[in-house]
Order: sequence, then C-alpha cells, then structure tokens
Amino acid sequence: MSVDPYILWLDHDDAAGNALLGGKFANLAEMMAAGLAVPPGFGVSTAAYRHFIAENGLLAEVEAVRRSACTLALADIKARSAELLGAITSAPLPVELEAAVRENYALLEEKSGERAVPVAVRSSGESEDLAGASFAGQYDTYLWIKGADAVLENLRACWASMFGEAVLTYRRQVEDEAMAADNAICVGIQQMVVARAAGVMFTLDPLNGDRSKITLEACWGLGEGVVKGDVTPSRFAIDKVTFEIIKREIVPQIEEYRFDPVAGAVGLVPLAAERGAGACISNVEAIALAELAKHIEKLRGAPQDIEWAISEVGDIRVLQVRPETVWSRHAGCGVVESAKSPVDRVLSHLTGVPVVGGGSRKGGL
Amino acid sequence: MSNTTSKDATEMAASAPSPSNKGFPSPFDLETPEGAEGWEELYPYYCLISPERRELEESKFWFFDGMHNPVPLYPFDTIMTENWWVAASQMTHRVWPIPVAMGIDQRLVNGHIYISPNGITDPDEIAARAEHFTRRAGHYFENWDTIYENWVVKVKDCIQRLKAIQFSPLPELEPEKHVFEYRGVYSSHDLLKTYNRLIENMLEMGSYHFEMLNLGYGAYLTFREFCQGAFPGITDRTISQMVCGIDNLLMRPDDEVRKLATLAVEKGLADLVLVEEDPDALMAAMARAEGGGEWLEAFELAKEPWFHFSTGVGYDHSDPVWIDDLRIPLMALRNYVEALKRGDDIRRPTEALRKRRVEVTEEYRSLLATDEDREAFDELVALTSKVFPFVEDHNFYVEHWHHTIFWSKVRELADVFVAHNFLDDREDLFYLHRHEVNDALYDLLIGWATGSQSRGEVYWRPVVKRRRKLRDALCKWTPPPALGTPPDVITDSLAIMLWGITQETIDEWAGVDPDAGGDVLRGVPASTGKVKGQARIVTKSEDLYQVKDSEILVCRITAPSWAPVFSQISAAVSDVGGMMAHTAIISREYGLPAVVGVGFATATIQTGDVIEVDGDVGTVKILERANG
Repeated sequence: MSVDPYILWLDHDDAAGNALLGGKFANLAEMMAAGLAVPPGFGVSTAAYRHFIAENGLLAEVEAVRRSACTLALADIKARSAELLGAITSAPLPVELEAAVRENYALLEEKSGERAVPVAVRSSGESEDLAGASFAGQYDTYLWIKGADAVLENLRACWASMFGEAVLTYRRQVEDEAMAADNAICVGIQQMVVARAAGVMFTLDPLNGDRSKITLEACWGLGEGVVKGDVTPSRFAIDKVTFEIIKREIVPQIEEYRFDPVAGAVGLVPLAAERGAGACISNVEAIALAELAKHIEKLRGAPQDIEWAISEVGDIRVLQVRPETVWSRHAGCGVVESAKSPVDRVLSHLTGVPVVGGGSRKGGL
Repeated sequence: MSNTTSKDATEMAASAPSPSNKGFPSPFDLETPEGAEGWEELYPYYCLISPERRELEESKFWFFDGMHNPVPLYPFDTIMTENWWVAASQMTHRVWPIPVAMGIDQRLVNGHIYISPNGITDPDEIAARAEHFTRRAGHYFENWDTIYENWVVKVKDCIQRLKAIQFSPLPELEPEKHVFEYRGVYSSHDLLKTYNRLIENMLEMGSYHFEMLNLGYGAYLTFREFCQGAFPGITDRTISQMVCGIDNLLMRPDDEVRKLATLAVEKGLADLVLVEEDPDALMAAMARAEGGGEWLEAFELAKEPWFHFSTGVGYDHSDPVWIDDLRIPLMALRNYVEALKRGDDIRRPTEALRKRRVEVTEEYRSLLATDEDREAFDELVALTSKVFPFVEDHNFYVEHWHHTIFWSKVRELADVFVAHNFLDDREDLFYLHRHEVNDALYDLLIGWATGSQSRGEVYWRPVVKRRRKLRDALCKWTPPPALGTPPDVITDSLAIMLWGITQETIDEWAGVDPDAGGDVLRGVPASTGKVKGQARIVTKSEDLYQVKDSEILVCRITAPSWAPVFSQISAAVSDVGGMMAHTAIISREYGLPAVVGVGFATATIQTGDVIEVDGDVGTVKILERANG
C-alpha cells in the first residue's frame, strides 16, 4: 500500500490540484504548473497532519470538539477547545515527519542560496478556497519565519489554528458537517517575497458583479494590510477586454508592512513620506497585473480572487488564487427587463425611458 | 418652460448677489474686453443676450460651444450657427418630435457662441409627443438604408447646384443678347437672385445636415446606455469602437495622400516631393519629370472631392481648406514619403482594426449574464452599426465638401464688391452679416443702374475697419465654459453626443477656476498612452504651420482634417470634446495619447511648457513652465 507523502513540493509533478496540499497550495501548484511565477516552496501535507493527530491519539478529541462547536454557545467554545490546543502545541512530532520538514527546509535554503531563508508558513485547509466558501483569513499565516526550529513551531501553530473560535464557528455555515468533521489542513512553507507592493485583485467588480472589470487593490510593502484591512489600499479598475484603466485612486500611505529587523518580525513600519505619497505600482504594472488576472481566470474557468506581490524591480509573483465566492453563487442577472425590438429600445431611450431595467447591476446584491 | 423659469428666478433671488448658483457667472456680469466696446454691432439683434428678457437669459444654462466655433464669429459666418439654431432645433422639437427635448438656443457673448438645450419635463406633454415620435422616427429607423441612400443623392445634387453658382461684376452695358431675347430681367436681377440662391443653398444643406442626425445619435446613445448598464464604467471610446466605421469618409482625404505618396515613391519621384515644398513649384516639376504626368493625373483625381477638406470643423470661413491651400496635404505627403523611404508601412491597418473590433465586440458579448441581454446587445450593435455610416460620413458631405465650396462662392461674391469699389479685399466681406450683404448688394445695383455713386463705396470700408478691431479685441477674451443656471437634467441627445454635456461635465466646470493655474488639469481620457513633451498651443488653423515634430498639440478642439499634424505630434489635448468629437478616433488611429474636454488647457498651458499627457486616466500635468 502506497503511503501519501508528508511533503509535496509545489513544482512536483503530482502537486497541481492535489487534495493533499489543501485548497490554497493545490491551487498555487496548479498556477505553477501553468507556468506562472509562484514563490518556491513545499506543503506539509494533510497526510502529515493526520499522521500527527493519529500518532498522538488526538482524533477522538478533534471530532468531539468539532461536534460540540456546532451546538455550544459562543462563549463556551474557547474553554472546550483549550485542552486540544495545548495538546497540539506540545505533543511530540513523529520523528520521520520532523526529519522530513528539516530536510526539505534545508533544500529550500539550498535552492534560494540563502541560509535561514525567510519563509511564509501558511495554512491551506482542505475545504478552504472551495467555490462557495472562501474561509478568507480564518486560518493563520506566519511571515518571515527563519530557520527549521521556527518553521516547526509555526507548523504546529497552523495546525492549532483549525481549532480557533473563528474557524469552529465559521464552520457552522458549511452545510456538510460530516465532511467538516474530518477536515485536515496542509501547511505550506514558501519562500518570502520581498515586496515593493502587494495586494489583491478580483476578476470582476465585487460591488456589482460586472465581469468586464478587473478590480485591483494595492499597497506599499507586503499585502497583509490589504487583507487585514488596516492599510487603505490604492484602487484600480481595469477593463478586462481593452485593458483601459477605468478608475485609479492613489491613497497616500504613511506606513507599510515589512520585516522589521528591530522587532525581528513583520510589522507596520514607517514609510518614507515621498515614497508613500506616490503610486505603489505604475499604470503599466497595473495593466500587467490585470492581464495576469485575466489569464488566471481563463485557466481556472471562473471569476477569481488573487493575491499578488511585486518586487522592487517589477517582478510579479502570484501568492494565492481562489474562486470568487459571492457573485459566482448568484445566477446571472441581466440588464434588460423585457424583449423589445432594438428600434423600440431607441424610441424608449429618446422618450426618456431608461433602457436598462432594475437588474442587479444598479442596486448591488 | 415658463414654470421652470419662474421657479429658478425665485431661487436666484434668494441667493443674491450673483444669480448663478453653481459658480457660473450671469451672462450680464461679464466684462467687455478692452477695445471691444460696441462689439454687438457685428451681430443681429436676435443673437445677443437681451436685458428685456433678463429673467429668461439668467434662468438658462449656457455653455460655450468652443468645439464648433472656438473663436469669435465673423458676422457673415453666423449663417452657420444660425442655420443649426433652426435646422437642428426644428428636427428635435417640431419634426420628430423628440419627447423630452425641444431645440437648442444660442447667444453670442463677446462674440463667442453659447448654447442652451431646452428640455421638456411635463409627463403629459412627453406622452403626447412620444406618440408622434414613435410613428415618425420608427419609420426612419425601419427604412434607414433607403432613406440614407436618397439622402446622399439629395446632398450631391445640392452640391452640384452650389458649384454651378457663379458671381461676376455687373457689365458696363447689358449684353445685347438679353435685349433681343426679350428677357425683361437683367444682370442686376441675376446677381440678386444668385445671392439668394447661394444663401438658400446653404440653408438647404444645413437642413439635410440634421435630417437623420438626432436619430443616429439616439441609436448610439441607446447602445451606450445598454453598455454602461451592463459594464458600468466602460469608456465611450470602447463603446464607439464596437460600432464605428473603419473606412469612413473622413479617413479618405488622408488615405488619398498616402496613395499619392506611394505612387510618388514607385515612380521614383520621392525626392521631388521632398525638395519642392511650394505647391506650384512641385506641380511644375512633376509636369517636367518622367512619370510625373501620371502622378499629376492621380493628384487631380484625388482632389475631387477629397481635398474639399477643411482644417477646421467647416463653420469658420477662415479655416484653411486643402484644395485652396495645397501646402497642407503636401505637408502630409512629405511625411508619408519620408516614412516610405525609411521603409515604414504607411497603409492604415484597416484589417487589423476591423478584426480587433470584432474581437472586442465578441468578448463583451461573452461577459453578459443572460440570453436576453445577449440578444439585446446583438440587435443594438446591428442597429447602431447601421446608422453609424451616416453619423460619421455626413460630416464629409456637409461640413467639408459642401461648406468649403460655399465659402469659396462667398469669396467670388466678395470679388464683385471689390470690383465695384465697395471693399478693398475679398476677405472684408465676412465682416458683414448676410442680411447686410443683401442691403449692400441692392445699394450696388442702385449705383450700377443709376450711374451715380453708391453710398456703399464710402460706407462699408470704415465699418469693416472698425469691426476688424472689435473682433481682434474679442479674440483676446477667454470664454468661461458656462454661464447661467445649470439644469436638473440634460436630455438633449445632440447636447450629450456632440458636446459631451453631462452632469459630470457641469460639476467639473463649476469647480474649475481658470485663474487658479493648477499644475494638473483633468479631462476625459480619449486615447491610451502617456507622453511628456513641449506644448504647442493651436487656437487658429494658421497656427498649424508652427507645429514641430513631437510637440504636444493643445487646442480648443482638434478637427479630423488636421491629419497632417497628427503624424507629427506626440499627443493631443483639447479644451472641449464630446464623445463623438473626432479627436479620440483620430488619436487612436495614430496611436497617440489624448485627453479631451480639459476645459482650460489653452488658457492654462503656454507654447513651450513641458507637459505630461496621460491618456489612460485623463490628466495633463504641467511639469515646467516655458517662462519661469
């Protein structure tokens, strides 16, 4: 019987779309296989997680916590899961698993040519990023982690994040509870991108579902601020057909997320006033990002929500792709209300009656 | 309309002292530029802001039509604006009638034309008009192609009759022929009649001009509304890209020049074209050169009718016309010959443009949400593409072909006045209004008939001299973009299509202070790209000759016939520009960044300033002033 691997590199032949990598990393592996620039890294697979839980006899407790979270009052959930969280943080790692993580981190060091190469340790849940539920920001991500010991520590933290209040309660909305009960995560170990700017883009207008636009938010430094919402990003709207910049709002920024050597961690640090006052990406870069977004949407066959970063010299990296979950779930809502001849439409227009009826586009959801 | 007036008047009284409520001056508060006192004598009484109708004048929203008449009107040239005052307005109000819109009013303010669309808001009246409109306009849409075919026949006939008109000085003695034919009417009557035919011919063409235009624009605006509903924020240039013609007639003059350049290179005559800049010298050299005869033949063929092409929009007699000033097409010819010698392909990429249009249309279609939307989209694309040839091509037939001949006929008449000692120069006649020309003509007949001196021989020269000074003084005035009281809604399709007047434009104008001298000007992004360069202000067509390579053209409005200049400049900026102004189309053709509808570019920027034009976002930045 073949054993599922504990470690799977993003550029491995079996990686693209592989459930062992969880949603986020399986998608990223798919993008990498399609030739897009994704920072190199590997996933500590869902099999690794299951192995850890099984070896330490925690499975029954995991299921019990999840089941009770469906019925417990919000205030009691934390107390109920405290013991499990403690166990995940302290239980011994299976020896072969720890060895595999150390070995592959060393390989990443070698590939990057940098000792103690900084990495992002990112949760990638099995049911995360499925069309229908984004789980956006529910699982933890740790940035600028250096050295194998720190990586191992944060690996556990990611596993533990599955049992935080937010995830346990978010889960209540997921219809298939049986599936949820056996949910696992993969933890991705990926080389950090030193970002001049980063952000998020949608391959539609999230405000009205208009699929002819790429909506882009960008900020100086790492994209944490855009995702967390504590940095007001600059906004672009770009026509998906002609790549005209339809809207461009540059928001001045006084601080940015980046690695702070003093604190030894990523945090909000002051940004030079002159730099912060300008646009963090040029129009040409915004258009290149929009072209990338359109390409990704085509590859994935549905509207997407994409995280990206751009280096000081303008190299673009894809950090995350996932299906857009709000508008995609709604049946298409048209703009014309009734069948009419085109001449009648013109006559109506010149009579002062709007051509476009009460469709969704004007009122939003 | 009277209701609106009194309501606005009440509001105005409350917000004294200035009656304008959004930062627009009252038309009564404007100062006459120095040296222009008494300018009103240049124009008929009905063109002026009148104190007797103060309440009406102040309640209306007047915006400057710098797009068609960027400079103060010559008295004779008001025939063009007066024509559309009636011809365009009657179509909207009395012929169709368009339910929500009446005609468009005009006033001359310090010699500059301000216009004001009149809307209808009473639902009962709108409903009553809609019934007529549906029957009448519906018939035109259903039979569009046939009616347009007929339109071209009518228009060409009108042009032929115009060409046949001739003016010559009255004879010393009436020809004997007229006596023995027992004609009974003589040269005097002929002259008067010919002048009347000339004016009628102009007004006839002026009427054809608007026969189908509102409906064509209406179809486009409907398609536009659909696109903006389905794809909020989609740009006007993208919408028009889906329906505009690739081979419209306005491209033909330039295409002809490209062909002549190719022929010259093929025949080994390229150097001749480059060396002989003077038109006469070039023609003479061609006549002598081997193969030159064939080229001259092609040149003559191209001229008729394609060189009846104005460098303006056709409404100003002083705009140079290709056929009268061959230096303009020859400048373009030299550029194309040089390009060919460098090995460039100068053919317009029509196939690529056509293919791109299909791709863009298909892709937007695929982004629509429902089958109903796709069906409506397909049908509106088809209808709008059907009406668009008229919308684009009427411009060549009317403003270029007909109107340029009209101006040359007026000059022929002016020669009669010069011959009879009324004027010193043929151009002086344009300082007379066409009704005054009627008087002067009768005066001339009197002198000729009686053999005594016409008063006109001593009367008109001082008038012309005074009026020239007045008009020159008016030229120094910078017209504010708008006057009076902004309306609640703009409903006139012509106002929206031609002048780009929307709520946003009004708001923008209201917030602009022409004296603020800000370093970033905003307008409508009309053609993609970003370019830095030296500005060249062009406010008169003559300024075109000053344009140097890679300069950025800054003008009130670019005319499609400025083609030669577009091959030299690196970007275009204009004060005014509706979505159908041809600046955008031409700029895209030439791949130049363009920002239109900037408002005060010509007043704020000076020739030599280093500016940056961003055609993606619609900004013009002044980076460096030429004078400190």
